[in-house]
Amino acid sequence: MSAREEILQRVRAGLGKGDAAARRAAAEACMSNPARGPQPQLAGDRVARFAGKALSLASSAERVGCAMEVPAAVARYLAEHCLPSQAVATGDVADLDWIGAGIEVATRVAVDADQTGISGCFCAIAETGTLLLLSGPQTPASVSLLPETHIAVVPVGRIVATMEDAFALLRAEHGGLPRAVNFISGPSRTGDIEQTIVLGAHGPCRVHLILCGESS
Amino acid sequence: MKAAVHSQAMHFQARAGVQVANKGLQKALEKAKPLFVGKRAKGIAGLAEDGLGFEELRSTCEAIRRRVVDDLDVWLEIFEERARASGAEVLWARDGDEIRRHVIDIARRHGVTKAVKSKSMLSEEARLNEALSAAGIRPVETDLGEYIIQLAGEAPSHIIAPAVHKTIGEVEALFAKEHGRPAGTRTSADIPAMAREARAVLRQHFLSAEMGISGANFLIAESGSAALVTNEGNGRMVTTLPRVHVVITGIEKIVPTLEDFATLMRLLPRSATGQSISNYVSLLTGTRGANETEGPEKTVFILVDNGRAALAGSDFSDMLRCIRCGACMNHCPVYFSLGGHAYGWVYPGPMGSVLTPLYTGIENALDLPHASTGCNQCGSVCPVNIPLPALMHRLREIQDERGLRPRHERFALRAWGWLAARPGLYRLLTRRAARYLRWLADDSGRIRVLGLAPGWSDGRDLPAPPGQTFHELYAARKRA
Ligand code: SF4
Repeated sequence: MSAREEILQRVRAGLGKGDAAARRAAAEACMSNPARGPQPQLAGDRVARFAGKALSLASSAERVGCAMEVPAAVARYLAEHCLPSQAVATGDVADLDWIGAGIEVATRVAVDADQTGISGCFCAIAETGTLLLLSGPQTPASVSLLPETHIAVVPVGRIVATMEDAFALLRAEHGGLPRAVNFISGPSRTGDIEQTIVLGAHGPCRVHLILCGESS
Repeated sequence: MKAAVHSQAMHFQARAGVQVANKGLQKALEKAKPLFVGKRAKGIAGLAEDGLGFEELRSTCEAIRRRVVDDLDVWLEIFEERARASGAEVLWARDGDEIRRHVIDIARRHGVTKAVKSKSMLSEEARLNEALSAAGIRPVETDLGEYIIQLAGEAPSHIIAPAVHKTIGEVEALFAKEHGRPAGTRTSADIPAMAREARAVLRQHFLSAEMGISGANFLIAESGSAALVTNEGNGRMVTTLPRVHVVITGIEKIVPTLEDFATLMRLLPRSATGQSISNYVSLLTGTRGANETEGPEKTVFILVDNGRAALAGSDFSDMLRCIRCGACMNHCPVYFSLGGHAYGWVYPGPMGSVLTPLYTGIENALDLPHASTGCNQCGSVCPVNIPLPALMHRLREIQDERGLRPRHERFALRAWGWLAARPGLYRLLTRRAARYLRWLADDSGRIRVLGLAPGWSDGRDLPAPPGQTFHELYAARKRA
C-alpha cells in the first residue's frame, strides 16, 4: 500500500466515521462561506493606527500629499541616511518620476549588491501595522527582502483594518493567491543570542514607509 | 516505532541531573524565563485594547483546529488536491526514513549540492541533516538559533528559541571557529555585530543553494498554500531564492480558510514571543509563474505521519491541535529547571512530555509524563486549549495498565491503597510522618536534606508541613 493510502486509512480508522461524502460536503461548505473569528474594534483613525503600530515595530514613516511627492521624499530619506541615490524597485512604483528626484531606479529582481529596494504594496493592515505585498512578474519579492533598506509606498486609501479585510480585498481583486503573499511588519529581527533583539537579521534592517494620498 | 532510534528520553533522570548541575545552562535559563513570560503576558494584555478577549479567541482557535482534526482525512484530501492544482507536488511520508528518502531523491533529481533550511521540527524528527550530509548534500540551517546549534553539533533545546541554552561566550567561540577568525571576548553590546557576521555568511549560502527546505506553521486547505511565520526573514529567503522548495510538515497542520488563519495569527505570535504579529508571514502557493524570474520552479510538500495518524480519534487527539507556539514550555517550572535537552527528543516541555511517548513509544519515554508538577500553567496558556496535564495523567495511567512502572513503585502504590482503606492506622502513621517532617526542617521552615531520601533534596528543598495532619487541624478548627 502506498504511504498516502496507509496514512489516510490510519486516520480514517482512528476517527471511525462513515459517510465521507457528507463530511466532504460540510468541509467544502465551510470553505465557500468562510467565517470570521472575533474581530478587533480599532479605536480612532485607521491611518494613525497603521502608522503608530508601524513605528512601534521599528519602521519609520512619513506622510506626503500625493504619489507625485514620493520620489522627492525618497531622495531626502536616502540623503539623510547617506545612502547612494540608486535603488531597485518593483514595477508598481516604476512610473513615478524618479529621474526628476535624482534617483536612478532599476526595475528588476533584487541582487545582493542592491542597497535600497523600493516597492508599493497591495494593501496595508492597520491592526498590526503590516504591509501586504504580492509576488508577480512586476513585483518580485526579493526587492523587499535582499536590500538593507526597504522603502514602501503606501497609498492611505489601501489601508484596511484587519488581515481578514486584506483577504477580502485579495479575493475581490485577484481571486486566487499569487505564488507568494508576504506580510511585512517592520525590519527583520532576531532574538536568538541571549534573547537580545537585533534588527536586520536576514532581511532589511530599515523599513521606511511613505504614506500618500487621501483616505478612502 | 523507528523514531525511537534516536530518542534519549529513557535517560531523562540522568540527563536532568546533569542539566541541573550545568551552571551555564542554568544562567541562560534564568535570564530567559522572565522574558518569555513577561512578553507573552504583555502581548495577551494588548488584545484588550482592541476589545478582544483571550478566552473567546482561544476557544475560536480551538474550534478551528478541532474542525480539522475531527475530519483530518477529508481536509488532507482537499489540501492535496488544491496544492496540486496550484502546481506543487505532494508526497507522503510514513516516518523519518521516508522523509529522508524523499528529500534526497528530490535533491538528486535537481542536481542539488547545498540546501538552505528554515526551521523545521519535522526535519529534526527525521534527523535529516545527517542524512543529507551523508548523501553529499550540504545542509545549512539559517534561523540564527538553528545555525548556532548546527555549528555546535547539538539539537534544539526549544521549539521557538532553539539556542536558548547557549551563552554569548559559547556563540562567540562557535562563530570564530566557523567564520575563520580569532575569538574575541564578546559582551551583550556586541550581539548586533555577531548577528551581522552571521547575516553576511548566511547571505552567501542563500544565494548559492539550489534547494530550500522549510516547515510550515500551517497548511491552508482552501488555497493549497504553506504559511510560514518568521522574524528573521530566513523563511522568505529559503522560499524565494533557491530553484527548489521542499516543505516538510505534519499531516495535522491544516487550517481550512484564510479567515481561520487570520484568527490563529492573533494568538500564535502573542503566545510564542508576545508579538502582535511576527515580522514576516508568508503564504506560499504553487511555483514560479510563467513570466516570473524568481521563486522556486519546483515546490514539493511532504506530508508526514510519524505517529500522528494514530492519534486521530484516540485519547490523545487533543494533541493534534498543537500549533507549536512554545508557550507551554515557556511557563513550565520543570522546563526552566532542566532546559530542553533533558527531554531527550525533538520536543521539550509539556507538549514534548506528551508527544515524545506518543511518537516514539510509551515504553521508551517512561519518565516524561511524570516530569510535571501538575500546576497546569501550560494548560492555562495554551492557545488551543490542550489539557496537557490531563494528557500526561492519561499516559501515566497507560503505563500503569501496561505494567510499565517499576516494581517498587507499584508496590508502594498498592501499600498506600491498603493503608488508605484503614482510617485508624492511616491517621496514626500520617501523624508520625508529619511530626517527623516538621522535626527535619530548619529555622526557616524548609527541609534541606530529606532524611529517608537525601538524593531528592540535592537540587531543591521542601517546605515543611505544619507538624499536624490535615485531620488534626480540621478537628482543632471545628472545636474552636
Ligand atoms: S501544546 Fe499548546 S502551548 Fe504547547 S506548543 Fe502546542 S499549542 Fe503551544
